[in-house]
Amino acid sequence: MAAGGPGERTARALTRAATGPAGRALSRRPARLLGHTVAIVVILLWSLFPIYWALNTSLSTLSGADSTPAHYFPSPLVSDSYRAVFGIGGAGNGISGELGRSLLNSAIESGVAMIVTVVIAILAAYAFARLQFRFKRTIFVSVLATLLLPAYATLIPLYRIMASLSLVNTYLGVILVYVSGFLPLAIWILYNYFNGIPRELEEAAFVDGATPLRALVRVVIPVAAPGIAAAAIISFLLGWAQFLFPLVLTTNLSTQPVTVIVAALNQQRIVPFTLLMACGVLAAAVPGILALILNRFIVEGITTGSVK
Amino acid sequence: MLPYLLLSPLVVFIGALSFVPTADTTVEAFFRVMPLNPPNRFIGLGNFRALFADPAITTSWINTAAYVVVGVAASVVLGTAIAVALKQRFRLRGVVLALVILPWALPAVVEAVIWNWIYNPTFGVMNSALHSAHLIGGYHVWLGLDRWLTIVLIEIVQVWQITPLSALIILAALQAIPPDLYEAARVDGAGPLQAFRRISLPLIRPALAVCAVEALVLSLNIFDQVYILNGIAPLGSSVMLQTYVTTFEDLNFGGGYALSLLVTLATAAASMGMLALLYRRTEAA
Repeated sequence: MAAGGPGERTARALTRAATGPAGRALSRRPARLLGHTVAIVVILLWSLFPIYWALNTSLSTLSGADSTPAHYFPSPLVSDSYRAVFGIGGAGNGISGELGRSLLNSAIESGVAMIVTVVIAILAAYAFARLQFRFKRTIFVSVLATLLLPAYATLIPLYRIMASLSLVNTYLGVILVYVSGFLPLAIWILYNYFNGIPRELEEAAFVDGATPLRALVRVVIPVAAPGIAAAAIISFLLGWAQFLFPLVLTTNLSTQPVTVIVAALNQQRIVPFTLLMACGVLAAAVPGILALILNRFIVEGITTGSVK
Repeated sequence: MLPYLLLSPLVVFIGALSFVPTADTTVEAFFRVMPLNPPNRFIGLGNFRALFADPAITTSWINTAAYVVVGVAASVVLGTAIAVALKQRFRLRGVVLALVILPWALPAVVEAVIWNWIYNPTFGVMNSALHSAHLIGGYHVWLGLDRWLTIVLIEIVQVWQITPLSALIILAALQAIPPDLYEAARVDGAGPLQAFRRISLPLIRPALAVCAVEALVLSLNIFDQVYILNGIAPLGSSVMLQTYVTTFEDLNFGGGYALSLLVTLATAAASMGMLALLYRRTEAA
């Protein structure tokens, strides 16, 4: 399954072959180009094949999906599974309402958690990056230390806290837990971004009599928009992907996100794979499309968030 | 006053929902906590003794070690290979980069459901493709029979998800290396392989360390993929899965707390150890 491996090896073998005594100067470039192209194709196959396979199955008929050997293209190509998921044409078998509602729950939970996380993180990151105060280093380090805290450390107590506050199976309970989990990474991304902004910009505002808060809103936030976008999209994707916490914190369709519903459908064993893959594709569509469109911000967030 | 005002929401959130729970776990690990079967009382190391006596838990520890070894090794090696291939300029590089990140952005549960279908014993494409290529004589049941094969196949699903992260981090480190270094090496007659070993590798060691620790924490925490592809069977069970089962299926909260505490400590120790190791090798290199 070593995706980059074989491609790299081929690339190296080709390079070696081309640099042999026969055609050193002439064939070196084309051979390396070919090797590199092969490597890129292998990387893309590794990255995309499972996603393609889900799409392929979701657009096949049941007999098309259950054929041996497998069909690599849907023949015939049908939208039956998606119609069934959305209950179009009376084909819904209970899944229709479930999936739509759980997608809505996912959107609300990860969307609100994203907004709250980003607002709190902006305020805190600005204080850490620009203001001087006592215990600054202690607070900063202890907040970032929670990045390394595994989910284990907090799962059971958070469940009991939410249970004692009657917040199990509520949007609020889920969102509170998400925000506390996503804050450290969002602060780290924004802190690094704010530090990269020249102070002269705000000093100009201070000269004009602005307060630090006003400088933050008028000067820093507009300039830091790409960093804020990075923190926001990464928080949203993290929220959409959550499974263990909502599995524990939500108990029915009023709050269960799409990850929990897809896992439940998978477990029923009677849902046909065509339908299951259609549900999977729909659950992956929102984060997938966002990741493709906002790719630039994600790369920026990941790299500033990790290397430093 | 302003700094504290700006920090107050953060402190409330992290305090109430990270620090208090962590402290709670540390304390309750030494208590008998059974919500359906009170009373809850202090039992010292009782929970830990029970955990070490349970063969299912021991199995899950060994399995988790295997998940970690496969996960760290595969994601760092693959991530480096992908980063090296993506470092060169080529047409549509931006598009390729965006597509490569995709597995990282999707929910692990959904990915595991997709791979479960790929691994399917009767209609799975893995069987079909390997059979067509004459690499296997007949269709196999991939998951749930052989312990190590099950673990490797489940970890591949996680590696598929987390490798883009490693690739991006390593790519950023590779791009920060001044091109003149490679130029100088080329003038001195070094081939691409030698240049990679002598220039790239030492300079990206800190990035490799970050990737290794991230992969370590993620694979030590592996839950979603195991839940979908293995279920709660002991065969491929991970510690996180056992924590879930102990706590929320057996309703033995005390046991769950003790297990959580052990893994939290193991995570911290392993991360520190790996960082120290990789940084020492950086200095040596």
